[in-house]
Amino acid sequence: MTRHGPQRGSGETAEGFSRRDLFRIGASASAATLAATLPASAEERGAPADALGLLYDTTVCIGCKACVAACTTANNLEPDTELSGGIWQMPTDLNSQTKNIIQLYRSPDGAESSFMKRQCMQCVDPACASACPFNALSKGAYGIVEWEPTRCIGCRFCEISCPFDVPRFEWAKFNPRIVKCELCRHRLPQGLQPACTEVCPVSAVIFGKRADLLREAHRRIDANPGKYYQNRVYGEQDLGGTQVVYLSHVPFAKLGLPEVGTESRAHYGEKVHGVIYKGMVVPAIVYAGLAFIMRRRFNAHEEHARDEQSKTGREDQL
Amino acid sequence: MKTAHWNYAVRTDRPLITAPLLFFSALALIALALSAWRLFGGLAFTGMNDDYAIGVWKTFNVMTLTALGSSALAAGLTTWVFNQRQLHVVMRTALTSSILFYGTGMFALGFDVGRPWNFYHVILPWNWNLHSALLEVSVCMTAYVALFLLYENLPTVLPARWFARIKPLYPYMVAAAFLLPAMHQSSLGSLMVIAGTKVHPLWQTQMLPAFYLIQAIVCGFASLILILMISCLAFHRPLDIPIMATLARFMAWGSLVFVVLRYADIVIRGELSTAFTDGWYAVLFQGENLFVLIPALVLLGARRRSIPRVLFVAAAATAIGGLVYRFSPTTLAFRYGRASIYFPSIGELLMCVGYISLAIALFILAVRRFAILPDRISD
Repeated sequence: MTRHGPQRGSGETAEGFSRRDLFRIGASASAATLAATLPASAEERGAPADALGLLYDTTVCIGCKACVAACTTANNLEPDTELSGGIWQMPTDLNSQTKNIIQLYRSPDGAESSFMKRQCMQCVDPACASACPFNALSKGAYGIVEWEPTRCIGCRFCEISCPFDVPRFEWAKFNPRIVKCELCRHRLPQGLQPACTEVCPVSAVIFGKRADLLREAHRRIDANPGKYYQNRVYGEQDLGGTQVVYLSHVPFAKLGLPEVGTESRAHYGEKVHGVIYKGMVVPAIVYAGLAFIMRRRFNAHEEHARDEQSKTGREDQL
Repeated sequence: MKTAHWNYAVRTDRPLITAPLLFFSALALIALALSAWRLFGGLAFTGMNDDYAIGVWKTFNVMTLTALGSSALAAGLTTWVFNQRQLHVVMRTALTSSILFYGTGMFALGFDVGRPWNFYHVILPWNWNLHSALLEVSVCMTAYVALFLLYENLPTVLPARWFARIKPLYPYMVAAAFLLPAMHQSSLGSLMVIAGTKVHPLWQTQMLPAFYLIQAIVCGFASLILILMISCLAFHRPLDIPIMATLARFMAWGSLVFVVLRYADIVIRGELSTAFTDGWYAVLFQGENLFVLIPALVLLGARRRSIPRVLFVAAAATAIGGLVYRFSPTTLAFRYGRASIYFPSIGELLMCVGYISLAIALFILAVRRFAILPDRISD
């Protein structure tokens, strides 16, 4: 019987794959590269003018945890009493019952210590919102990162992408939610501030517009040079900027704040992906090239198949 | 092992109920029962937690195993675009195994996500977040399996005169069936780019999408070689050495591209010394590359790739290297340097294995019922 197709092992350039085809592929590839490099300046996202946030100052906090309890009440969460055997609220970390926590850092020799308040940082350019497939997490009014339950599929890529390990998932629930601080956005329309800042007895954490908070932070640094680590406000630039900002007397890294530069995770993550899919230009060009080649190949194949069938009586198998 | 030139896909005439089929069906049934139970019980029984928020169903069944399910892409591109027409005879094997790997992977995904009932947004483009690599995977993989890969499999299961009505679409559907997996296989790599410094620097690179795509194609060839060889042994078919050698040659070149780009990537990013000094991670990195590189070098010899034993071992090693590579960024090299690790629970593992068994059981049934596996028939 005769076999259609080229001889086996006939080398890379099989019959029918002409130089012109190679040229066409090359041309569409370079067009794609060009289209990909033109809009290379990925959009820089700045904080909205009315961005709200928090300023937490480790030198002021007395570790009373009033903010932890107030947060639980204000957000209708079940207090995490597991560690105390059901008596007191004693969360050890942010979890699906705890959107806000006070933790203690102490150096091994005990010489250096600091309280640390953790909650969602309300990133200027949030990685979670960039990773979220159906915009369940997105920047809402005042730049607050909001979670919308009807759009969440529970994929947990917000947890994978968040550089601060903030979003938490209700592992044991039937219809699990993503739990994270939303700056008490349900309280704001009533003229209330977030529960944590409202209850703080020493104003270690204060609420306000991000711009005002940064101004206040720099005022404190200028008034007390050398008091704060690196005379720097964490979150002003870090990871693209955050709306919750920190002043600390110990290195930020000791408090669990990652020192990984000023580029946002979202920006880093979208560098290649964002360019390839910008306006679907690259996929469209590749599809056009593939469809063009496939049409020629398929027509040739059909011709061969008819010949074969007349010779062997066997139907072509696609 | 007998050898012959394959010229037609023929269904097997083995008895329907065999020991392997019962074995894999049993494992699949356990997984299905656990899946139904999991729907009501939440995900607390898994080894996942807020630090390791994705587990084996995502990282292995989908992000790793769809590489083995990429033989439709790898063999399809070779057959059609690179015009290796002698490979047409193995395309049905590739297409069937691909839709089963993908299908069971997506099935696993349905039980991995916490709120699967909200997945309907995938058909509402105005709710899409176009910045999200996961959106790209969700939309693109769903469309690929439900539309294009399904269409490609129709000639296998439908009478020819039924398929004739939609046959004029063939080149355009197949072109999409090449583009879409190229898109979502690369996006599977993009998923971990946004995890930034949580992924070990030997793996965290803007090249992740390219590496995932290349590894999908390499593993696609490897899985087709392995499936054909195992099927020929199991169903007493002759082996077509020249066809296997062609697949092996393409696989070897893909492997070389992967290894060269990988070392170039760490040199450019200044992580070369890490690849030799960072303990277990250095071993893992070099291991992934050597498992791919050594078989490639062996298979470059035309005589060596014609020896079934060599071919089998080389394809198996390549698949292991490729699969471990695709598993590392999400799991083995994720949140490196921590005391805690993620390890799946028994139930989670049973479901993971069960979904794979489901694919195998369905494959055994499919080759029994339809003309899929290649054979030599006389004129």
